[in-house]
Amino acid sequence: MRDVAIIGAGMIPFGRRDEDSLMDMLAYASLKALDDAGMGDKSVDAVYVANMGAGMLQHQTSVASALVDRLSLYPAAAESIENGPASGGSAVKNGLLAVASGYYDYVLVVGGEKMREVTGWRATDFVSTMTHPTAEYVYGITLPGMAGMFTRLYMEKYGLTRDMLLEVAIKNQSMGALNPYAHVEMAITREGIYDSPHSVVNNPPAADPLHLYDACPVSDGAAAVILCPLEMAKKAAKTPILIAGFGQATDTHTLQEREDPTDLKAVTLAAHQAFEMAKLKPSDIHVAELHDAFTILEIAESEHIGFFKKGEGGKAVLAGKTRLGGQIPINLSGGLKARGHPVGATGVAQVVEIVFQLRHELGKDRQVKNAENGLTVNFGGFGNNVVVFILRRVKQ
Amino acid sequence: MKEIAIEAYKCLKCGKIHYPFHDRCMDCKGREFQKITPQGNARLITYTQIFNLPWGFDQRFLIIGIGEFENGLKAMGQIDADSVDHLKTGMVMKPSWEPVRVQAGENVYGLKFEPIT
Repeated sequence: MRDVAIIGAGMIPFGRRDEDSLMDMLAYASLKALDDAGMGDKSVDAVYVANMGAGMLQHQTSVASALVDRLSLYPAAAESIENGPASGGSAVKNGLLAVASGYYDYVLVVGGEKMREVTGWRATDFVSTMTHPTAEYVYGITLPGMAGMFTRLYMEKYGLTRDMLLEVAIKNQSMGALNPYAHVEMAITREGIYDSPHSVVNNPPAADPLHLYDACPVSDGAAAVILCPLEMAKKAAKTPILIAGFGQATDTHTLQEREDPTDLKAVTLAAHQAFEMAKLKPSDIHVAELHDAFTILEIAESEHIGFFKKGEGGKAVLAGKTRLGGQIPINLSGGLKARGHPVGATGVAQVVEIVFQLRHELGKDRQVKNAENGLTVNFGGFGNNVVVFILRRVKQ
Repeated sequence: MKEIAIEAYKCLKCGKIHYPFHDRCMDCKGREFQKITPQGNARLITYTQIFNLPWGFDQRFLIIGIGEFENGLKAMGQIDADSVDHLKTGMVMKPSWEPVRVQAGENVYGLKFEPIT
């Protein structure tokens, strides 16, 4: 197997993009990644498109074939990859394996989703279709609802407090305010969402015990990367970023069938695989992008990866250990919480953000100084399909 | 009152209870199962009150939880309560089979829990 590197990365600002179709967004992000790799007028061998909902939301299928046509990339092989909110991670993984195997040299991976053109009702229903049809979906359960039930158990078992969740929201929105790609570029205060009469209106209950500001926004957006063998990447214009490790694991479809519903086994297993492959340990990671679709998930994932012991993740957030300059800076992009969560794009956007970090391209208010190793967690369903990557800056 | 129409599956080899159906046992990978139904009341494992409802629900909120029946079967259902203020994990709930949503003008039946103690 060959080592595989990322030589190009690009994304478009997430948010409400009424003026752009899904295909527009996929094309814009792809062109940015191709240009970033210095391949603006060249082709690629294969294209992997991560998308969850075009068939349901845009009434469009075969988006990978359509994107090849839009970008005149024929005769590149092309596939659409749907794996729920982990579609992006899955697409990067498939691109990685295709290059590592020696079958393809240059691969474009792009993820995108257009969710804001339907009503909130429809978008919520669309995301809920990943729950079990007869044992969960029929009751009206939503992903925020799953997170609410999970949070209650986490609070009872580990003493997690609302203060800890608030701090994740405040931290990530403060970082989103510095990220030009973020959907929500607005810092928030504890007073605004908790400690004042206004907070009742600003931050109403969403899925008890979670409130509005515990959840990520519904977003439009796209992100892309270009992969190639490490040996070829060394000739690239920008610092190559090695995909040093990856892992993917699954868990039960329903929450109720988990022996301990607070145990995110797929996160633990996927992270373990990635650390083994990269020959690194959690303390070697300098920056991480975790899948904080809900504030609880950033805390729970940080524990299941091994950054903190079980029950210590919330305390670490309160102590500032996950901020820039802390023990392990998490979600300096603003995370899903502020950057937004166009579901098919998210896993790719996390990788793009870590590429920017490891190439040391961000402003000093978001850049981890001398970052060498970064990690991403892309969390599908409610933890029933998880993809983890460890990226490493290649010394040249 | 309608009979609760949940069918769960007990592995004939190792006894593990599955709901919903799996073609192979989660523990021993056995393929033969005995159909079982929920027995008795249910103990509340966890719950939430959802305010942003999906398409298909025309109401202000839903309270949903997971209950464990006396024979070990665990299932999700809607909880018949005005708020979560008087709910707590571990409390006992009485199950019933009632309309849980309307699709294409028809009632869809499912599990409902009435909190008891």
